[in-house]
Amino acid sequence: MSTPSRRILAAALACAACTGGTKDSSTDSTRATTPAAARTVAGTRIASPHAGPAGEWQMPAGDYSNSRYSELATITPANAPSLHVSWTFSTGVLRGHEGQPLVIANTMYIVTPYPNVAYAIDLAQEGQPLKWKFRPENAQQAVGRACCDVVNRGAAFANGKIFYNLLDGHTVAVDAASGRQVWRTKMGDLARGETITMAPIVVKNKVLVGSSGGEMGVRGWIAALDVATGKQVWRAYNVGPDRDVKVGPKFKTFYAHDRGKDLGQTTWPGDTWKTGGGAVWGWLSYDPELNLVYHGTSNPGPWNQDQRLGDNKWTAAILARDADTGEMVWAVQTSPHDLWDYDAVNENILVDLPIKGRTRKVLVHFDRNGFEYTIDRATGEIILAEPFVPMNWADGIDLSTGRPKARPEKMPAQGKKVTDICPSLEGGKNQQPAAFSPQTGLFYVPTNNLCMDFESRHVAYIAGTPFIGANAPEKGGPGGYRGEFMAWDATTGKKVWGIREPYPVWGGALVTAGGVVFYGTLDGWFKAADARTGKVLWKFKVGSGVVGNPVTYTGPDGKQYVAIYAGIGGDMGLLIAGDVAANLPYDVRQRGTTLPDLSRWTSWGGYLFVFSL
Amino acid sequence: MKPAVVWRMCAFIAAAHAAQACTDSSAAQAGTGTQTARSGYSDGGDSLRMLAHDENLPVGFPMSGKPLELRNPYEGDKRAAGIGAQLFIAYNCIDCHGADGAGAMGPTFQDGRWHFGGSAGAVFESIYQGRPDGMPSWGGRITNDQIWMLTAYVRSLATVDLSTENFSGQTIERTGH
Repeated sequence: MSTPSRRILAAALACAACTGGTKDSSTDSTRATTPAAARTVAGTRIASPHAGPAGEWQMPAGDYSNSRYSELATITPANAPSLHVSWTFSTGVLRGHEGQPLVIANTMYIVTPYPNVAYAIDLAQEGQPLKWKFRPENAQQAVGRACCDVVNRGAAFANGKIFYNLLDGHTVAVDAASGRQVWRTKMGDLARGETITMAPIVVKNKVLVGSSGGEMGVRGWIAALDVATGKQVWRAYNVGPDRDVKVGPKFKTFYAHDRGKDLGQTTWPGDTWKTGGGAVWGWLSYDPELNLVYHGTSNPGPWNQDQRLGDNKWTAAILARDADTGEMVWAVQTSPHDLWDYDAVNENILVDLPIKGRTRKVLVHFDRNGFEYTIDRATGEIILAEPFVPMNWADGIDLSTGRPKARPEKMPAQGKKVTDICPSLEGGKNQQPAAFSPQTGLFYVPTNNLCMDFESRHVAYIAGTPFIGANAPEKGGPGGYRGEFMAWDATTGKKVWGIREPYPVWGGALVTAGGVVFYGTLDGWFKAADARTGKVLWKFKVGSGVVGNPVTYTGPDGKQYVAIYAGIGGDMGLLIAGDVAANLPYDVRQRGTTLPDLSRWTSWGGYLFVFSL
Repeated sequence: MKPAVVWRMCAFIAAAHAAQACTDSSAAQAGTGTQTARSGYSDGGDSLRMLAHDENLPVGFPMSGKPLELRNPYEGDKRAAGIGAQLFIAYNCIDCHGADGAGAMGPTFQDGRWHFGGSAGAVFESIYQGRPDGMPSWGGRITNDQIWMLTAYVRSLATVDLSTENFSGQTIERTGH
């Protein structure tokens, strides 16, 4: 927890930047009802508007910018302590509930972890009955081919259809009114370990989807499907020759070392790129003005670095692609020749920020490698890169090249055991998405504080089996806490306040115009905090650990509701928590050593909790 | 390969393919193969046991004579189990089932509980033919001898009773609110 003096300073800083308000807004009890636009920090803007009416949640992150910001302002720091449960729903599945519901026209849409059942819930009737449920064909084999629990990060909505991915590598379109399948397209090959867990987005009548399987030696890709037919419009691989990765005339990337012919192939020994990973299992964002889609790519395969000497482009990278064609426009490889399983798939949040007297169109990214990157989203220039968690593997990021200055003593090699690398392979942050509020100009970031030892060994590629070749036990990071929910200023690269948690904060954030930020914890607390000060206003112990992301909507009764999944799992539940491993209910396991008592505080679950005043 | 192993494999194929591939098992020929193949999923034991249930056959059918059973030629052979431990790493079993079989994306072997049967024959089958939750089929990709050594290793891993977890006095410092 941050000190009181630090919080006062934080509030003062936040308000010094406020414009439009006639007085100090932190003491104005009526501010919840004033127009939000009047109270944004000067020069601060979310790049694209909230999708649909303010009272709906039509996209995974609420908008194309991945802001997870809502204009709803009924719930405020003053009244948040009186939040209570309105209703609940059991999803019927006990595995990791990452992702979030959608809310469109008084209907809530939920996609469960495998077997990826979709539910349409009627919010307009007492008792929230189902309108329909959709149970897709979904190959059981996928359960054992998914590295990190059988999660699904949510659905997209457009043109009266719900689009989502199945763990077994299919993308489906379902009629939002009837629940009938409209089309189904096979995108991944389970035999080669390709699964799909990410939430698609719809851009200009195309559904954008990407592959999982960075631990299985896949060749990662992102693809666009026609919303009406499901036919593939384009597919771009992230490793391989320029033709396949769609590097061509539009590629004008910022750093010289990223320019050259077929770098996605020549930065690998021999044919190793063919099993080189670079999957797209995280969040997508889109800038309508630049017509660019932004996505990260996963770790290279295998983890054993000695089997893939070179930069291993374009793995562990942030890529900007033309939304119409998939052509790459710029690339920032956050971890060239990644040695630590630092995927770059975390969300890219698109905002305009005042930096050194100028308004910059930026992309803000909290990387697994522990650095926050503030990047010019038109050019790929790194404006700022600062560590946001305890980090000891690098001496910083060289802004003249964009490359990290890695410390030799933290660099693994086959036959050498490296100890105490921070952050661990789970990253300073993982899939749990951050939120941004234009009112405070701050990012709200769920983080991990873990470290690891790393020992690599030779591994053979065997299709459909893990392609890892390393052992990397994890432990708590310095300071005696294992996670922190923090407010972060991406114009300076500094933390403003933080709430320390006993476990990694593996669920996402939501921030509202009411000045309240919401998040859940692995040990099952759902919390509301003051967005300006970080003061915890309210908390409720939900039925299972939270790895999902809160959303907010206006109900048919005009009230503001906040919804969150409770269902521990994902990589945290599966690989670390031992006994609460979510994948296999028939397993009885030793307690995990990284989070030794987590199973005391929570157990499997699969719930939706909905709260209101 | 020893003739006995050939015969045992034949019985296994019979179980997997509903009596199509094997000619030296009259019970399998008689059409109980499907039932046989499924029995291993429910009884937690040897999936081939049902082959011997001649009383299930219509009167007049030829009797099978003796039960079919897969026996590990390396049962109790520590050296073979040691080679199995190396194969467990070489064939990437370790990254699914965890170091020492502690469990990861695939099930643990330390709990002594077997979803598809824990007898040597059932474990052999699981490795040979794969299992529906994603366990790949290794039959024909590695040798049967290697599968038996893996079987010996995997079956040696259940060493502690994990039934009860008692939390008293075991908690880390809680720094949150």
